[in-house]
Amino acid sequence: MEDQLREKAKELLEGGEIKVVIGYGWNNRKTRITPVFITKAEDVDKLVFNALCVNNLSIYLTRKYKDIQAMGKPAIVAKGCDIKNIVVCISEGQVERDNVHIIGMTCSGVVYKQELWQGELKDNIMPSKCHNCDVRNPHITDSVIGDPVDFTPPEEPAGMLFDKIREFDSKPASDRWEFWNEHFTRCVKCYACRQVCTLCYCERCITDKNQPQWIETSAHPRGNMAWNLIRAQHLAGRCTQCGECERACPVNIPLNMVNSKLALTVKESFGYRAGYDTEEHPPMIVYKPEDEEDFIR
Amino acid sequence: MPRIGVFVCQCGNNISSTVDTAKVAEEMSKLPGVVLTEDYKFMCSSPGQDMLKETVAKNKLDGIVVAACSPHMHEKTFRKAVEKAGLNPYKCEIANIREQCSWVHHDTTKKIGTAKSIDLTRMVLERLKRNKNLTKISIPVNKRALVIGGGIAGIQAAIDIADGGRDVILVEKEPSIGGNMAKLSETFPTMDCSQCIMTPKMVEAELHDRIQLYTYSEVEKLDGYIGNFSVTIRKKARFVNEDLCTGCGDCWNKCPFKADSEFEHGLTKRKLIYTPFPQSVPNIPVIDKERCPKILKDKCGLCEKVCQPEAIDYTQEDEIVVEEVGAIVVATGYNLMDEARFAPYGYGKLKDVINGLQFERLASSSGPTGGEIQRPSDGKVPESIVFIQCVGSRDESKGVSYCSKICCMYTAKHTMLYKHKVHDGQAYVFYMDIRSGGKRYEEFTRRAIEQEGAMYLRGRVSRVYEKNGKLMVQGADTLSGSQVVIEADMVVLATALVSRQGADSLAQKLGIGYDKHKFYSEYHPKLKPVETITGGIFLAGSCVGPMDIPESVSMGSAAASKVQALFSADMLDREPITSKVREETCNACWDCVTACPYVAISKKEIKNRKGEVIRMVANVNDGLCTGCGTCIAACRSKTIDLAGYTDEQVYAALNAF
Ligand SMILES: Cc1cc2nc3c(=O)[nH]c(=O)nc-3n(C[C@H](O)[C@H](O)[C@H](O)COP(=O)(O)OP(=O)(O)OC[C@H]3O[C@@H](n4cnc5c(N)ncnc54)[C@H](O)[C@@H]3O)c2cc1C
Ligand code: SF4
Ligand code: SF4
Ligand code: SF4
Repeated sequence: MEDQLREKAKELLEGGEIKVVIGYGWNNRKTRITPVFITKAEDVDKLVFNALCVNNLSIYLTRKYKDIQAMGKPAIVAKGCDIKNIVVCISEGQVERDNVHIIGMTCSGVVYKQELWQGELKDNIMPSKCHNCDVRNPHITDSVIGDPVDFTPPEEPAGMLFDKIREFDSKPASDRWEFWNEHFTRCVKCYACRQVCTLCYCERCITDKNQPQWIETSAHPRGNMAWNLIRAQHLAGRCTQCGECERACPVNIPLNMVNSKLALTVKESFGYRAGYDTEEHPPMIVYKPEDEEDFIR
Repeated sequence: MPRIGVFVCQCGNNISSTVDTAKVAEEMSKLPGVVLTEDYKFMCSSPGQDMLKETVAKNKLDGIVVAACSPHMHEKTFRKAVEKAGLNPYKCEIANIREQCSWVHHDTTKKIGTAKSIDLTRMVLERLKRNKNLTKISIPVNKRALVIGGGIAGIQAAIDIADGGRDVILVEKEPSIGGNMAKLSETFPTMDCSQCIMTPKMVEAELHDRIQLYTYSEVEKLDGYIGNFSVTIRKKARFVNEDLCTGCGDCWNKCPFKADSEFEHGLTKRKLIYTPFPQSVPNIPVIDKERCPKILKDKCGLCEKVCQPEAIDYTQEDEIVVEEVGAIVVATGYNLMDEARFAPYGYGKLKDVINGLQFERLASSSGPTGGEIQRPSDGKVPESIVFIQCVGSRDESKGVSYCSKICCMYTAKHTMLYKHKVHDGQAYVFYMDIRSGGKRYEEFTRRAIEQEGAMYLRGRVSRVYEKNGKLMVQGADTLSGSQVVIEADMVVLATALVSRQGADSLAQKLGIGYDKHKFYSEYHPKLKPVETITGGIFLAGSCVGPMDIPESVSMGSAAASKVQALFSADMLDREPITSKVREETCNACWDCVTACPYVAISKKEIKNRKGEVIRMVANVNDGLCTGCGTCIAACRSKTIDLAGYTDEQVYAALNAF
């Protein structure tokens, strides 16, 4: 698989149109997988692909990384789940479909955190997105690397996280409030969750707006609640549950639980899932005269 | 430091009975920036307005809060007043302490009302401090009108606008204008012949220099805004060249095939190349492309052979035309409810059970029987007819909740028409109530009952069935408290009037509102009955709800006068409360573009000095933006602000609470 990938990368770079291949590689000590940016054909051997490649590299396509954008047309090594984010970026005008080469990787799952890896991929070390994956054979690509994976995606959202959400939903509102209040109180306002999110591409985040300052900047419980609620709302119908925010959070707030709950709600209410259609905008942000809901007429 | 004046209105005792207005004024006077306060009985009275003007001028005030009724009532009044005193009108804001306070808090100790009024006024004051001077947006007006629907309401509107010297485009979806009125025989309450009063109007519309007819056409799309609409019209293929056709009729005389006539509601047949009725305007036929064998499988072609001016064109295709207009009148009329819903009455199954419009055709001298009342099954003149009122009307379970309003009148008319034509015939009417409000209407129904011998039975009919060649009508006579079965030769159902099929999709194209019955919504049912919520689009006739001819005509004229008023000025002032994009922070995510219900936002290119596009940003069209604020909620980066309600202003108002 890696050979195939390097071959492809080489071909693309030599072709001249692609200026940089965004992919996965080893760190210097070969202990962790980190993003690599290959600009020369002779460097393609640095590219790797394995179960440790959990990161979602699509963020490097956004305006947050102007330096990368300045290099020219990129090719990106992307698993099906990562492609969902690229799709949202395309539908929201952040990435032009013609301006990125998607190297889709067939995938059998990754580990939630690299330190959990002990040489074997088991359910209990895989993230929720892998339990629910329906894109092991990547869905929107320019080239595909790897043999097709034979699998059946679950019909209903499955796995620990969704079990937890279902159980949580049955609790009284006061308990749920308390749960989130406790978690959000611990937030240190480092904004790692925002920085790592492909879809938090605003150049001026609402938290940075100080005229007026809607969200308190200090890590005070009130501002924390406002920030976390707004973060979640801004991602409703857009988030693909890649889970990077949760992996990045230094105080382990279960952010993907919020995201997944919102995604469930959007699916139930509007029959919409983010990341599958490059043309479609999330339904809550689209006015259509033929909308079923008649509150706006 | 701002110099703000706060004027608290007592509104007689409307406000002062639950709000201590003097206390509100006193509290406001303590706030920074407030240089004077007034507690006044009626701010909207002329002395009140004069006082406001004088105070503003004398004290060089630069901002005004009037704590009074809803801004919907007098915002304009007070803004005008301060403008006369030399202040920018948008430096005057209203705190609503009546509808949102005194009227809803009944505490006569005034504690709650006063405290809340203080809060409300302080919030508005803080918002006002951040108000900018705004100037009205001036947009040009294209003085051409579009009328959709060529029934009597639409025709009247078109003629009135055209007589006022403006060009009108009249779009009618059928091959001829005329609508439902063209089908009627005689009309209540004066019993004049409908055709005789209708056809002159139709011809007037056809020949008017300033009216352009688009028949057999439909509005496909509407862009733009008040004063500047752009309408896309689909002219359906007639397969007849309108410029060449002389209306001689050779084609429809020769056409060997027939289909049920829509105009005659299936009582007779028409050819496959046809005009709906002899007096059609324009008198140009259309080919029924669903059935014509020439068009379906290239067989026949007779009409082409007989047409001397060579007007037949089997290859004609729909044509799309775009017209620019400044105002629109919607007059798309009504339909009858589908009788299939009333299976127990046998409509569609029993041939001699017909609806009101079919009876109109039978009674009409231009109808299929030449005006003789004959029953459809065998052409026999009926010896008795049962008329059933309120079929579907006032019947929430099977039909609609509302009263169709005209059925009592036309049923009375039908009994008279029948009596006049079949002297020894007996008419029976099942009714729930007789509703005949209107000039000379009550006298009309009394005449049917008292002088013309119609037998009125109060009660519902449960079923109609056939027995020995007769229709048996079984129902209740609630006045005598008995069940009755009446033998009849014919049954006429006064079915409910419902909205036009497709009324909702047209409304969506135009961006106007409709109710749960899909009748179009007026801006205000009493005070703005011909306006819609969308500027520049007006309503006329029975597309708003069931109504008779006099009402439809009045509404047509009323809508025309609104259009004339709009066209009386070259430029139109619009409120400057519109959205603004702060380009520096726009992500070009286009959420606002997809969210805006008025299609007011477009994508704008930002170029560098070399003319290269370096980025894209959202851009709001002031003419289209209604200031609804949807985009502001959609924008994640908080890049959009509404003039007069900027983020800062709203924040300041909330913080003042
Ligand atoms: C049985 C019966 C008897 C009646 N008798 C009387 C009477 O005696 N006296 C009286 O005062 N009233 C009577 N009425 C009421 C009368 O018919 C109406 O008041 C009148 O016809 C309403 O006119 P209108 O122009 O509003 O609608 P309509 O006559 O329905 O005209 C609407 C027109 O718009 C066209 N249209 C619809 N949709 C579109 C579209 N999307 N695009 C373009 N064109 C479109 C239609 O084809 C039609 O030509 C009677 C009604 C019935 C049912
Ligand atoms: S990463 Fe965690 S701690 Fe940091 S801002 Fe986000 S939620 Fe708060
Ligand atoms: S305020 Fe409403 S009408 Fe104006 S641009 Fe925004 S969404 Fe459109
Ligand atoms: S929603 Fe906001 S950020 Fe997105 S395009 Fe519109 S103005 Fe720009």
